[in-house]
Amino acid sequence: MRRAWRLAVVGAIFSGLFAVLLLRLWYLQVSTLASALEVAEQQQIRVVTIEAPRGDILDRTGRQLLAGTVATRQLVVDRKLLPAEREEGLINNLAALLGVPADDLRARFEEAGPGARFTLGEEVSEATSVFVLERIEDFPGVVVEPVPVRVYPRGETAAHVLGYIGAPAEEDLQRPEITPRDRVGRFGIERQYDRQLRGTPGRITYRVNAAGEILGIIDEVPPRAGGTVVTSIDLELQDFVERALYDGLSLARRDGKQPIRAAAVVLDPRNGSVLALASVPAYDPSLFSTGRISEEEWARLQRTAALNNFAIQGLYPPASAFKVVPYTLALEQGIYPTVEQDEYAHLLDPTDPTSFYADGDLQFPNTPLLKDWKVHGLINIHTSLEVSSDNYYWGIALKIWENSQNPDLASSENLLQDWARALGFGERTGVDLPFEQAGIVPDRQWFQYHQLNQTGLVRAKGGWSGGDLMNVAIGQGAMVCTPLQLANAFAALVNGGTLWQPRVVLEIRDSAGAPLFTNVNSVVRKIDISPATVASLRADLHGVVASPKGTARAAFQDFGDSLDRVGGKTGTAQIRLPTRLLVVDRSRVPPWREEEVISNLAILVGMTAADVRARFDAAGPDGRVELGEITGATEAYAAKRPDAFPGAVVEEVSEIDTAWFVGVAPLDDPQFVVAVVIEEGGAGGRIAAPTTRAILQYLLGEPVGAIRGGEETD
Amino acid sequence: MTAAGVSLPHRRRLSRPDYLLAAAAAVLSAVGLLMIYTVTAPRNEAAGLDPSGDMVRQAFYMAGGVVVFIAASLLSDRRWKALAPYAYGGALLLLLLVLTPIGSMRSGAQRWIPLGPIDLQPAEVAKPAMILALAALLSSGEGGRLGWRRIAQTITLMAVPSALIFVQPDLGTMLVFGFVALAMLFVAGTSVRHIILLLVGAVIALVIAFQVDILKDYQLDRLTGFLNSGEAELTLNYNQTQSQIAIASGGLFGRGLSQGLQTNGAFVPAQRTDFIFTAVAEQLGFAGSAVVLGLFALVVWRLLMTAAAARDRFGYLLAVGAAALVVFHVFVNVGMAQRLMPVTGLPLPLMSYGGSFYGAVALTLGMAHAVWLRRSPVPGERFLL
Repeated sequence: MRRAWRLAVVGAIFSGLFAVLLLRLWYLQVSTLASALEVAEQQQIRVVTIEAPRGDILDRTGRQLLAGTVATRQLVVDRKLLPAEREEGLINNLAALLGVPADDLRARFEEAGPGARFTLGEEVSEATSVFVLERIEDFPGVVVEPVPVRVYPRGETAAHVLGYIGAPAEEDLQRPEITPRDRVGRFGIERQYDRQLRGTPGRITYRVNAAGEILGIIDEVPPRAGGTVVTSIDLELQDFVERALYDGLSLARRDGKQPIRAAAVVLDPRNGSVLALASVPAYDPSLFSTGRISEEEWARLQRTAALNNFAIQGLYPPASAFKVVPYTLALEQGIYPTVEQDEYAHLLDPTDPTSFYADGDLQFPNTPLLKDWKVHGLINIHTSLEVSSDNYYWGIALKIWENSQNPDLASSENLLQDWARALGFGERTGVDLPFEQAGIVPDRQWFQYHQLNQTGLVRAKGGWSGGDLMNVAIGQGAMVCTPLQLANAFAALVNGGTLWQPRVVLEIRDSAGAPLFTNVNSVVRKIDISPATVASLRADLHGVVASPKGTARAAFQDFGDSLDRVGGKTGTAQIRLPTRLLVVDRSRVPPWREEEVISNLAILVGMTAADVRARFDAAGPDGRVELGEITGATEAYAAKRPDAFPGAVVEEVSEIDTAWFVGVAPLDDPQFVVAVVIEEGGAGGRIAAPTTRAILQYLLGEPVGAIRGGEETD
Repeated sequence: MTAAGVSLPHRRRLSRPDYLLAAAAAVLSAVGLLMIYTVTAPRNEAAGLDPSGDMVRQAFYMAGGVVVFIAASLLSDRRWKALAPYAYGGALLLLLLVLTPIGSMRSGAQRWIPLGPIDLQPAEVAKPAMILALAALLSSGEGGRLGWRRIAQTITLMAVPSALIFVQPDLGTMLVFGFVALAMLFVAGTSVRHIILLLVGAVIALVIAFQVDILKDYQLDRLTGFLNSGEAELTLNYNQTQSQIAIASGGLFGRGLSQGLQTNGAFVPAQRTDFIFTAVAEQLGFAGSAVVLGLFALVVWRLLMTAAAARDRFGYLLAVGAAALVVFHVFVNVGMAQRLMPVTGLPLPLMSYGGSFYGAVALTLGMAHAVWLRRSPVPGERFLL
């Protein structure tokens, strides 16, 4: 009895300990059950995303593949399924299997990051994949998978329309469906229609153990392929246009120019469809889908800005090609120039109110004397377009200016700009491609803004003047537009006043062929232009290529039977860029030293001796040989060795012409508008017109003649 | 005239065995076997081994344990008391041996002596030896209150094997010694004042151990890892976090045998040994775990009843020591799995995989059962009541 209480105390304490365990058990298993299951779920489950095959991009027939996705057999490492302690062993096994340095693989693992799922990048043979699968215990976390790879079977063709895909940028990551490991459309249709093209990724939910090894599959959702995009691009035409642009560049080079690039647009003026859109030099979009691009290749793309689509991003003064706008304005509003000097008055045709005498220059108060590129003499509105008289269009601008200064008339000084804006200048066309530029239509308001903010685009002193308006009338000065804008404006003028929103995509279908999205042709606005004016414009555009004085007559002289059905307008834009050109006066090179000098020059300018020889031959026995731009260092080197380079001089060229031509065909019912720009290629009539001529010949089924130089024009 | 009324020395008949104790121990062992199977089978299978390999091995250990239990029960409690010095000496010898090159080193600790097919853990064998020695010491001499002298002797008795165990190192076993000794001292009649002083002394000793860096780093890590349970789920707390998740996801009735996702996925380390309880909790739920705890409580209750029925002070103390051993192991082990106690590596009696401890527990229960079998049916002949 004495000690019974002590045993009871021990029993009570022991009971208490059991009670604590039981209470804790109740708390854990009943109160924290839900949260524990959640945590357990997280660590017991691995979700692996399966990339969806990106949709195809087809030409306008829906039969030719421009971009597609092929499945390649690849080894994919899923680090979530790879126990960390086995990683080193895996890397060594893979290195031995694939014959690559283990350090390279280690770098790839590091780059991918912990828990990442990544492909080893190269397609593997079936034998290799069977080997891996049979010895999967030596390759933990490795799966053999069909990895979708984006391919562009046509190489550089239509590259800028198609765009390319790549790692997502910051803004792409804002989209909830994009993860940093995804590839997204970065440019072109790939970017514009990324949502429709990318499809829906699938996923496999695995049950895994603590070591990350797969115990089984819980759920499997197959990926859904992206939609098929049918473009408005005519593949063969696109191909032809690109080759024509390269030929145009060669033509400019033969002229001793150093053209930078060329761009072209072929539009259907009946509905705004883009039949071809090219910017050369281009790039191969496949370079970006493999994710590997050599440094030299990258440097070349950067140097030539080949990744930019100059057909919608390049801004150039439209120059004389813009004259169709004041031309239409003049006819629609009855605003024609009048001669200033009475001495010419008797020369005018009294029956024609548009009659004008172009003496070649124009003096406007407070501005320097303006010089036309040629003295045209007696012309009227029709011949003014054919011969591309600056005088005539300055006269129209002057008339608009004077009318606006006249209190009785109270007309707008922005009449010309209003017409330009109505035709789509100064605003994006709304084409379904990213990064389109809007261009500039300068007016007083624009001028004052830039003067006030000292943007450097306008002179620091003096106000907006009639001279500035006259510059606008001939598409020069601050007036800039993209090739697509110019083509679209021409389309609206020749189709009777309908400004279409251009489109490169016609429709998108799902993987079963059912339509997902139809890109209806939509009208931006209707412009009131009388049929008589349209007919007049079509006729005068024909005059440009066919009349004896037409600026593109030389370029079109061998067009063929359908010459009657085509027309167009030249343009030569002056872009102020001081450049130093190396020129050799061949008459000062002693004939017996010619080979030696050619060889020296070839080394100096980095050309082959054969190319330099070709230029010598082209220049003739006593001609001027232009050898292109020269850098300061090269110039200094040459200056120290005058004996090695007899006859060589450096000329500073402050204005390099950019060549334009916009063609229309067939004139009775226009189906094609072709705009071609050759940057720093020379005169429009000489370089751009023959290039466009070849494209028009192709479009009308004429035998295509070689691209030869046309006339030096505006 | 016969020698009526004259009490002759005779061999007393054994009382009825404690079937409840035996049954509870048997069921716990069986559940343990089942749990070991569910935990080890998937992994053995994955490794291309016999799925029931671990279970079969444990079944052999258990068979050995049953033999040990029966043999220990058949030995008289008096004989056990007489054997106490030898058992104590033998345990010390083994503890010394394990520190020699004979002992094998595993995961930073030298705890095993390889004996053919089995590895003997002297620290486990030392537990019943310690109980035996303490019971013998505290029951010798006069009854009544224990003075400082006895307490000092008790501490000395504990100190020698403790020091040897400390060198291995094995913090858990030292704590077991401390708890068992405290319980036995208390029921032996030590005044509450002395008990409190001893507790205070133990706490001070622990604090000093922390301060002077006697504890191995991993022991500190385990303890501090437990204290900082808010953070660091990745490293130190990993075992306990996983164990807690496993237990909690069992819910009321569990996920069913071999359906435990945490268990099957091998998320809980050392699951067949230290964390066997999580397998019970995940697969059998609160219901199954409560039954298991109830069975342990039944074992402890039977041991306390044995103490109450013991014919002398030695048997009384022996039975209490046995009960304390079981209680402490269960509380620390299950508490650890529930993230209530730090990780000390104490296995769950009768259930955890391993031969040495199963044998040690069988021996302890067998010695206590020897006391039970020789209890007196006559209350007056009992020590306590």
